Amino acid sequence: MTQSNRIAGGLVDRSKQLSFTFNNKSMTGYEGDTLASALLANGQRLVGRSFKYHRPRGIFSAGSEEPNAMVHLRRGAAQEPNTRATVAELFNGLEATSQNHRGSLEFDLMSVTDLASPFLSAGFYYKTFMWPKKFWEKLYEPAIRASAGLGRLSMQEDPDSYDKGFLHCDMLIIGAGPAGLMAALTAGRAGARVILADEDHLMGGRLNAETLSVDDQEGSAWAAAAAAELDAMPNVRLMTRTSVYGAYDHGVYGALERMTDHVPTSGGKPRQVLWRIYTKRAILTAGATERSIAFPMNDRPGVMLAGSVRTYVNRYGVAPGKKVAVFTNNDDGWRTATDLHAAGVSIAAVIDSREITPLAAIPGALILMGASVASTSGYLGLKSIATSSGVKIETDCLAVSGGWSPNVHLTCHQRGRPTWRDDIGAFVPGGDLPIGMHVAGAGNGSLALASSLKEGANVSASVASDLGFAATAAFPSAEDQSTDITPFWHVEGKGRAWIDLQNDVTVKDVKQSQAEGFRSVEHLKRYTTLGMATDQGKTSNVLGLAIMAEATGKSIPETGTTIFRPPYSPVPIGALAGRARGKDFRPFRLTPSHKWAETHGADFVEAGAWLRAQWFRKGSEKGWRDSVDREVEATRGSVGICDVTTLGKIDIQGRDAAAFLNKVYANGFAKLAVGKVRYGLMMREDGIVMDDGTTARLRENHFIMTTTTANAGPVFRHMEFARQCLWPGMDVHLISTTDGWAQFAVAGPNARNLLSKIVDMDISNEAFPFMACAETTVCGGTPARLFRISFSGELAFEIAVPARYGDAMMTKLMEAGEEFDATPYGTEALGVMRIEKGHAAGNELTGQTTANNLGLGKMVSKKKDSIGNKLSERPEMNREDDLRLVGFKPVDTSKPLAAGAHFVDNGKEAVTKNDLGWMTSVAYSPELGHSIGLGFLKKGDQRKGDKLRAVDLLRGGEVKVEVVSPHMIDPEGERLRA
Amino acid sequence: MPDMLTAEPFLGGYTLDLGDVAVAEVTDISIVSIAMPLGGGDALANAVQAAWGCALPAPRGTSVSSDGSVTLIFSTPDQTLAILPGVDGLAVTDVAAKLGDVGYYTEQTDNWVGLRASGAKSISALERICPLDLASMSVGGAERTVMEHLGVFIMREDDERFLLLSGSSSAKSFLHAVELSMRNVT
Repeated sequence: MTQSNRIAGGLVDRSKQLSFTFNNKSMTGYEGDTLASALLANGQRLVGRSFKYHRPRGIFSAGSEEPNAMVHLRRGAAQEPNTRATVAELFNGLEATSQNHRGSLEFDLMSVTDLASPFLSAGFYYKTFMWPKKFWEKLYEPAIRASAGLGRLSMQEDPDSYDKGFLHCDMLIIGAGPAGLMAALTAGRAGARVILADEDHLMGGRLNAETLSVDDQEGSAWAAAAAAELDAMPNVRLMTRTSVYGAYDHGVYGALERMTDHVPTSGGKPRQVLWRIYTKRAILTAGATERSIAFPMNDRPGVMLAGSVRTYVNRYGVAPGKKVAVFTNNDDGWRTATDLHAAGVSIAAVIDSREITPLAAIPGALILMGASVASTSGYLGLKSIATSSGVKIETDCLAVSGGWSPNVHLTCHQRGRPTWRDDIGAFVPGGDLPIGMHVAGAGNGSLALASSLKEGANVSASVASDLGFAATAAFPSAEDQSTDITPFWHVEGKGRAWIDLQNDVTVKDVKQSQAEGFRSVEHLKRYTTLGMATDQGKTSNVLGLAIMAEATGKSIPETGTTIFRPPYSPVPIGALAGRARGKDFRPFRLTPSHKWAETHGADFVEAGAWLRAQWFRKGSEKGWRDSVDREVEATRGSVGICDVTTLGKIDIQGRDAAAFLNKVYANGFAKLAVGKVRYGLMMREDGIVMDDGTTARLRENHFIMTTTTANAGPVFRHMEFARQCLWPGMDVHLISTTDGWAQFAVAGPNARNLLSKIVDMDISNEAFPFMACAETTVCGGTPARLFRISFSGELAFEIAVPARYGDAMMTKLMEAGEEFDATPYGTEALGVMRIEKGHAAGNELTGQTTANNLGLGKMVSKKKDSIGNKLSERPEMNREDDLRLVGFKPVDTSKPLAAGAHFVDNGKEAVTKNDLGWMTSVAYSPELGHSIGLGFLKKGDQRKGDKLRAVDLLRGGEVKVEVVSPHMIDPEGERLRA
Repeated sequence: MPDMLTAEPFLGGYTLDLGDVAVAEVTDISIVSIAMPLGGGDALANAVQAAWGCALPAPRGTSVSSDGSVTLIFSTPDQTLAILPGVDGLAVTDVAAKLGDVGYYTEQTDNWVGLRASGAKSISALERICPLDLASMSVGGAERTVMEHLGVFIMREDDERFLLLSGSSSAKSFLHAVELSMRNVT
């Protein structure tokens, strides 16, 4: 297609022709075009189908407020639905397709819906699809979704990347129109740190769309010079293609910067960046959006906003029609007629709803005052209009102006309410702005150019001065164009009159909503879906409110507005996710032996952020059980090595460290000897067990606490709270050393033999008995800490070296252990051995269990006070018939056990009233040769030897179990003291 | 006697130079935390002054020893991180000997991975992950913050050079966050 509607003038670069396709038709445009301006240049008025009735629709506006011209942009995985053609910058090779039609755009089979429109008014779905209920989700919803809708997702992974970031400034200026540029210049010249953001790629706002002059230059030239001056200031950051979409607490604003949407590919860089902008002050200079007038059949392709028609002519050098008519209720609409005429576009008529003297004489144009448009014709594009007095006018483009609505959205994001101004027939920002926000220019209701420039400078100077900058407001010369208006909302007549083009909401729908009792504007919105589409009703909300006000007999301010919420314009989910996707969704932590484990068959499991080896596959082992059974047998038979670095380590020092530990642990710690370790039980204030672990006393005032992996952070936080808030008078200091030390459990009968080869000290049972600890060295000088503690129940040690030596230590341990067939073991084997020993872990320390439940009630010392001590005395937590941790084995030892199964007495039905408790942990014990389990059982301590049903209602299945001691291997602890 | 163990940097001594911005793992420092005993602020300050010729750092700041070899970072009201030249083994012993019984000392070297971000675009890169206003941070300033869910100390060593310390176990994730930020702006 040729650019049949391209005319002279505009800001596009005609030396750079670009090729693109729309529905596979090849077209050309110029650099500086949007997809919409290029489509119009090529005479393409029909661009899509409407949401509900599948009506043919064209381009309505020239900006981000566009309700109609939604397209699929790009192809394949990169296809993006619901892209507004009016903001999509043209690039070479751009591919766009229309959306929401079955068959071709011109012959949409779904347009049959339009014939049924008399039955499809507001509330139709609620009334029609009520019965039967079972059809709601299976039939009605899929059918309705299939027929209605907008674009479609590609259903493929988004190939682009996204990023986020943080910015800081003294003053954020939102919108780079005349007021915004003046605000930025004023603040920037005064030395304030300024961010000036605009959704357009070109700074200037309406200055680029009008023929108004500033300082005796074309407005666009003045804007370009202002932007250049700002760009040269090191204290000013210009952000084009950036939508500030939300005003949040504490002067924080959300902004979306489109980095590569205007080029064919992003080249591996983020397509969009979501910014969080911290501001001291913000000036909203967001301008105003034109609104339409509702008249019968006002939705045809070719019916456009008057200011936008002017934009296409003045900025893009495109005539949206060959013969243009104007329908207005205000003076600004006349500018469209005069600008177009000056550009050589034929004006068919100017129809003004006001009974006033015509504002201009336009050769060849029919001037009708006190008139309105009562009907239109042309199915796929406007052909003619007829006025209320019956005058028929041939026209292919009707420019409509119902007045301008200031973009108050961000002023209302913290529940501010706008106020109505009769003189401009529009809502303006109210007094309750977000803290630190100021408003200037058209967005504040100062719609004329000189006023807007002046207000931008004045507000900015005042704000900058408030921040301590010596700012003075200087104004360029400009004129205030006339913007007089006499509100006129809709034309009565036969046929549907659209208010919300994107959601297909008509005047009839609004009136029906009112007639059916929906009095509140919020109810109107939800019943009719007015303003609920992706455009959030930018061109329709005020019109809808005005018509509702008419219907109710109230004024517009009495009717009020709905709540404005972020985002101002759509933000892709990809941008909200940013870079957090795939394996980088969150950080991960690696143990010091991770690299060693990777090369030795480890299979890793996530333990919080940690990746831990859960077993090491060896040779021909087929399943995980083969590996785990081998690791357990090797450890119990000779020696095993496990990386236990993930356990939390907290360095505790201070004159009152021992007294402090005595308060945070339920059991006594005050008298722990230097060089000794003790098991500790920690409770929350409410007497519930919080965590357990061991704490070693290295020196008089120096302890090392270990926590469970999961509770490393919470325990540290808990103790910081205790030290800072509960006992600020204690001299205690905490610092985490979890990451600093690589720690390995060396367990099994040969543990001492192995470690003796590495550790530079005597570790015989006499010199280093059970529960001893020492600061020592390994391998002739590498610093180390040694603890004789055991989670596996074997003769065991934990040896720690600075983390950077961890990989070498693992290698050294395996080398030294070769003669003992030392075996690395993972978390599964660790789990098996701790269940065999009856040690509680995460499955038992659920945050709901008491010391009594765990069989550790006697550890809660009554010789002292400690956190949780008092509240653990509550009667309900000391019931004799409460749950107790016990062991279980299957009566038929060939049967596996299932964690989560509930216990019921034999002969009793498996229902809640007969529930006796549940299985918390299960494992196969290679040593015992059958499955074993731990679980909480009512009066469990009194039921050893009893046989019960273990019923797994969730997965099905039941096993008869016998209650046994939780200490299933070496109950006397002889091995670990060996 | 067996051979002593060999240390391995958490990121293998990684370096990347993208022209306008570069990142390198810092492997030649030791870190020791110094906690101030309750009521012992003056004694500790005097010992620091005597040992290193500098004061304890103020909030959001650092303090450098007179010979430039030691940098103290303010970490909490009663705790300072000392950045010292790297040593084999533990640095805490030397610090304890130097300052004496006026503080509580904890080895922190291996708790942290150090990254040095430098170049004209270092702030452009870091603003993708760092919520702080780095442009306003003075040279010698230090702050504690969170980047990509990870706790970080950030210190401005020069106009275009920052030292970042984050947990050593998540060193790879931290490097990924920093490196991706750099690649995204170059």
